[in-house]
Amino acid sequence: MDNEYLLEVSDIHTYIGQFHILQGVTVRVPMGHIVALLGRNGAGKTITLKSILGLTPPRRGRIVFDGREIHGNRSFDIASMGIGFVPENRAVFRDLSVLENLRIAERSKGDLARKEELIFTLFPDLKRLIKLPGANLSGGQQQMLAVARALVPDNKLLLIDEPSEGLAPVLIEQMMEAIRHLSAETTVLLVEQNFVVASQLASSYVIIEEGQSVDSGEMADLINDPATIHRYLGAA
Amino acid sequence: MNDFMVSLRRNRTRIITLAVFVVLFLMAVGGMSTKDWVITTLRGFSTGAVIFLVAAGFSIVLGLMGVLNLAQGTLYMIGAYVGWSVFVRPDTMVDLITPLALIAAGLLAQPLWGRLLDRLVLPHKVARIWPWVAVILGIALLVFTTARAPLAMWDPEAYSDSPIVWVQMFEAGQISARIQPAEWDGIPPLVGLVALVAGGAMISAGQAGHARRHGVASVSADRKRLPWRTIVIVLALITIGLGAHLGNDSLTAFLLNINRNWLFLIAIVAATLTGGGLGALMEATLIRPLYERHTYQIMLTIGVSFVGIELVRALWGRQGFTMPRPPLFAGTGEGCPATSLVGWLQHQCSTMELTIGGEVARIRTYNELVVPLVGLFVLVAVWLLIHRTRLGMIIRAGVQDSEMVEALGINVRQVFTLVFGLGVMIAALGGIISGPSTGLSTQMGETLLLGALVALAVGGLTSYPGAALGAVIVGLVQQFVIKYGQIGIKIPFLEEPLKPTPPLVPASVIILMIIILVVMPQGLLGKKE
Repeated sequence: MDNEYLLEVSDIHTYIGQFHILQGVTVRVPMGHIVALLGRNGAGKTITLKSILGLTPPRRGRIVFDGREIHGNRSFDIASMGIGFVPENRAVFRDLSVLENLRIAERSKGDLARKEELIFTLFPDLKRLIKLPGANLSGGQQQMLAVARALVPDNKLLLIDEPSEGLAPVLIEQMMEAIRHLSAETTVLLVEQNFVVASQLASSYVIIEEGQSVDSGEMADLINDPATIHRYLGAA
Repeated sequence: MNDFMVSLRRNRTRIITLAVFVVLFLMAVGGMSTKDWVITTLRGFSTGAVIFLVAAGFSIVLGLMGVLNLAQGTLYMIGAYVGWSVFVRPDTMVDLITPLALIAAGLLAQPLWGRLLDRLVLPHKVARIWPWVAVILGIALLVFTTARAPLAMWDPEAYSDSPIVWVQMFEAGQISARIQPAEWDGIPPLVGLVALVAGGAMISAGQAGHARRHGVASVSADRKRLPWRTIVIVLALITIGLGAHLGNDSLTAFLLNINRNWLFLIAIVAATLTGGGLGALMEATLIRPLYERHTYQIMLTIGVSFVGIELVRALWGRQGFTMPRPPLFAGTGEGCPATSLVGWLQHQCSTMELTIGGEVARIRTYNELVVPLVGLFVLVAVWLLIHRTRLGMIIRAGVQDSEMVEALGINVRQVFTLVFGLGVMIAALGGIISGPSTGLSTQMGETLLLGALVALAVGGLTSYPGAALGAVIVGLVQQFVIKYGQIGIKIPFLEEPLKPTPPLVPASVIILMIIILVVMPQGLLGKKE
């Protein structure tokens, strides 16, 4: 694959019931980079992630992942091509133990055994909690488990939604360290409200405003452009 | 210790309710002689076990997919009728293998057509129309051919050939003498066999055409490799179909001559698999388009249950009939009634006589021992499935968030089909198991569905242990009310003992449900909303 983009989302339009939520979103994610999706609450960032995965299939537009058009396919099929998803609500399975939460993400036998070391290096706490049911974890522990779960199979792309939301500063630091570590091997599309976090992690950005992608570019340029930050993201 | 007190306080209502049940049970027991209450309790477990088999699938399917499958009772009944047919008329089952296997071979060949269609370039209009034509022609061909395929069956319209009479002949050991092998009706056998495969193949090709036009082919699947698994399955099914056709007579003779205990086991397997297949088919074709529309689902499953009842009436007749017990539970001769488990197994008795509290209790080996054991077996097996296998893990996760399970790369739709099939399978097992104890009738499903619904409401709608507990409570209540209808309840200041009338049996169960729902709206083991 000599394509420089791992994921190309071109002008997608997504409806939820009657509502035209995404009205033309274009996102390009280069291989091996972290791209941040920025924008205000309700701008359509989460729906963009869900549209890529086919959980809320777009009506129009093209989504090319790893050189293949995936728009119109079933979610499990899209995910099986190598996309990991860390949703906003974490969606840790409450009735499953931490170990089972990881095991359920295996796409072939031995996935977990191969990744165990990496996961426990990034999130040492999980090792101690391995037998607890997901329901007993704290918010921060659930967030770690949700990221760890996305690491179990060999994913080429991770879609991470609001990893720092509701976490204590210490945990945010740990989470950022983990994501930075990951980007050495995988590509990440990150939704993040906390601009400080996003600006430190991502190399480029896309801004979504009222269901449309309105701006994109290098993160370094955005940091030096307070006007844009203020316009689309409110106070920086 | 502190945690214990907290959980005690949180579960106060639950604990009090359960305690009240225990007290009521002890009071009910106290009013009877030892032998009476032992037998009544065993019967309660027996009834409860069958109710549980219907309620188990109900609860798992409701928890995972939110589908209230009100056809569960009818499918339970179909399990009983299919099992009866295999047991009493094995020749009919052998006749059915050929058409079923050949049609299935054609239908399952779908992945083979994809590669062929890839090479085919058709004008747009033709590409749109031909799949429909193929499906309709395929169905027509199948209807035409199956109506002419050889099938030796009973005839519910003629008394001398009706299921009732076949049961009598079965018990008299005259089945082999009465069976007339059937022949192809008006078409040469070879043409018929080919037409069966071709009909199925046309339908699956039409579906492949549809799928292709709508672009729903899998992206992650490798299109270049030959679908070997499909080829093997199709060839195996064709072999089975042809084998059963060529060896029809010897296979029938074999089944008629083997030990009937084994035949009963085959009947159980056949009924269970039929139930599983029907359930999977029902989910894939009828339920799947309606996942977001709950009212329609309820209407649909009620409709399916009526269609099922009418179908059973058409094939087996309106009259109910009995199902003979397998010989292991039928003996009445020398050494019977047995006085111990060993004696029963030695003489294969239908009843056992045990001395309990100085009185002799007569226990029917099938109804009061085997049926509860089957219930217990399924309870444990399904528990293991849910807690010890990957499928179970997916089910537990899917109950909470099936979207996230799908986002992990798991084909949730397939899991739904599997679980729905499994639920119906367990209900069908309940049907065939209860056949020899309660007999077969077209109302058996409705009665049991009511019991199962009450059991779920009592135990907690989507709780699997709750389904088991609820079923046992319902079974016990029913049996104790029946027994007190015979012996009467002694009430202080009343001369005559009070005897609950038979209509009170279903009514008592409903009253039980009302009381529980008032005290604990989420059921005994259900989670609070």
